[in-house]
Amino acid sequence: MTHTPTSAVATAVATDGAALHAGTASDPILRVERLHKRFPVSGARGSSLHAVDDVSLDIGRGESVGLVGESGCGKSTLVRLLARLHDASEGRILFDGQDLSEIPALRFARSPWRSAIQMVFQDPTDSLNPRYTARDTIAEPLKLLTTLTREQEQSRVQALAEQVGLPAELLDRYPHQLSGGQKARVGIARALAVQPRLLILDEPTAALDVSVQAVVLQLLQRLRQELGLSCLFVSHDLNVVRLLTDRVAVMYLGRIVEVGPSEAVFRHPRHPYTKALVSSIPGQGPRIKLSGEVASPIDPPSQVCRLHGRCPIGQDVCARQMPLLRAIGDDVNHRAACHFIDPA
Amino acid sequence: MNPAEQPPLLDVRGLSLEFRTRSGVVHALERVDLQIRRGEIVGLVGESGSGKSVLSYALMGISDRAARVTAGSAIFGGLDLLQADEATLADIRGREISMIFQSPRTALNPIRTVGRQIADVLRRHAVGDAHQRGPDLGHNLRQRAVQALREVAISDPERRVDAYPFEMSGGMCQRVMIALALACRPGLLVADEPTTGLDVTTQAAVMDLITELARQRQMAALFITHDLALAADYCDRLVVMHAGHVVEAGPAEELFHRPRHPYTARLLSSSPGPRSALQDLHPVPGNLPDLRRSDLPACRFADRCARADARCRSEPAQLMAQGRHTVACWHPTQGAVPITEAMA
Repeated sequence: MTHTPTSAVATAVATDGAALHAGTASDPILRVERLHKRFPVSGARGSSLHAVDDVSLDIGRGESVGLVGESGCGKSTLVRLLARLHDASEGRILFDGQDLSEIPALRFARSPWRSAIQMVFQDPTDSLNPRYTARDTIAEPLKLLTTLTREQEQSRVQALAEQVGLPAELLDRYPHQLSGGQKARVGIARALAVQPRLLILDEPTAALDVSVQAVVLQLLQRLRQELGLSCLFVSHDLNVVRLLTDRVAVMYLGRIVEVGPSEAVFRHPRHPYTKALVSSIPGQGPRIKLSGEVASPIDPPSQVCRLHGRCPIGQDVCARQMPLLRAIGDDVNHRAACHFIDPA
Repeated sequence: MNPAEQPPLLDVRGLSLEFRTRSGVVHALERVDLQIRRGEIVGLVGESGSGKSVLSYALMGISDRAARVTAGSAIFGGLDLLQADEATLADIRGREISMIFQSPRTALNPIRTVGRQIADVLRRHAVGDAHQRGPDLGHNLRQRAVQALREVAISDPERRVDAYPFEMSGGMCQRVMIALALACRPGLLVADEPTTGLDVTTQAAVMDLITELARQRQMAALFITHDLALAADYCDRLVVMHAGHVVEAGPAEELFHRPRHPYTARLLSSSPGPRSALQDLHPVPGNLPDLRRSDLPACRFADRCARADARCRSEPAQLMAQGRHTVACWHPTQGAVPITEAMA
């Protein structure tokens, strides 16, 4: 079901000097190449906020990739770039071979590619129109992006509701008449309506109670298997990410600092930042504390490791040379960007 | 002295509270017991809607106007908080009992610098020399605000004291909330989901800070959360609520590893842990009962419980104890003896 490492992996490793392809999949549905997003800073001419900095990542067909990191690390900006809500400053977004970054974000909303990438948003309450019934909400993308007749549209809505386990009698309710779990199902049905090939889930369970969260997670897993969806799963709940993903990428201050099979990354994190992150999961025992605050993302020096100053194992070289992603040990899929990775 | 033998700092007995609404009377709390001793950190756990926040608001005297306390007492330092008049409560709030709210960004005043917000609290309660009006007052208050920020480990407090909340990150705003709450050195701190929405690393830092300060100052803390693993990591004792009832209470470690109430057990099995698999998650079946119902079963979990029988619906469960671990259930998951026998 997940991707299989093939010769393409080896090629990507061979060109490692260019730090290409944090994630490697043989025939990816999505390939992100050296993506940058810089926002101008008001009041400071020439300065820019580097939200996404030289990110390369692949998502294989049917693969689920997690994206984790603290708020402010650039996760959301990366997601907005991939969902084509923002235009990238530099770099390419290849979806099934087509470079989507050439289509301006403003035009993308009506382009046929819009159906291919859909998103499930964080807060099921905030992301539903309070004046739309569940039926209206799920039908909306069908109206905008397909040429279904009204009858076909309604039967599709019914089928979607069934697929996500939303009782048909709830379809005519407004968001305030639905529970958190039911609203989450409406959000998922809306995203699935136009049969996307890549589903981006931005903290889909953060606003839910643990018991409801468990149900939604199991639903997402079932849908992934039934529909063969490729997923990008963004969350800061690492336990949740581990459950739903094959691979995970860890971001810190705009850059991917570690990427690899989820089990390996959570069981044996290699990058000092990932180690600190994983040790912060409750119920884990001793915690690694990073000193100080996250550095400023405004005009960050290009040759200094982003973790420099907070890193427990940092040395002088970290201030002179930006570490690039490199394979650790035998597993070419597990890579970290640090000068001092212990191979053990 | 063993904290278990001290008289409690806060002693809530048989608290029942209802809301009178247009659609009926909501029986939000029923016969709630809760004791907190000096220097003790108690976790209050349950799904949203279980009455955790209602309880804490009632203690602070900031309940909604529709709320009526129908029975019970809450003794704090010899005073019944539920009977006290508004002037007495206003003197106690912020000085002897402080609260940290969810979502620090909305709880802080957006158009006042954090330093002035801390100074406001000090001035209201005339702490230290704050009552001495004079040319130095402003300067003194500012110095004390800087000191308060330093105590919660905010870097560069001399500069940050003049910052507005929007200039700070979520974690930093939460530190400011803590500084505000602790400015007058209260005896009891109530923290309502203080880390919801924060990243795991920030969450760990905030929890470390609260528990460290609590231990240093022999302060009691009531920590409200729906994350059992987090509560077990930081609390001495846990109290589990379901639909306005306290269903189980006991030492954190023990309750976390050997839950007795079927609800606690289900809550635990629905939370993803660092080693659990997706199929291991067992969501709590059903939803919280509608608390407006006049025919609520005696055990409000009965309709969701596999062990429930006719007696659970008709007779309020006897409190069972094993050591300091108490459970209100006719059919606890592990052997507990009725509390009357245990005392004998």
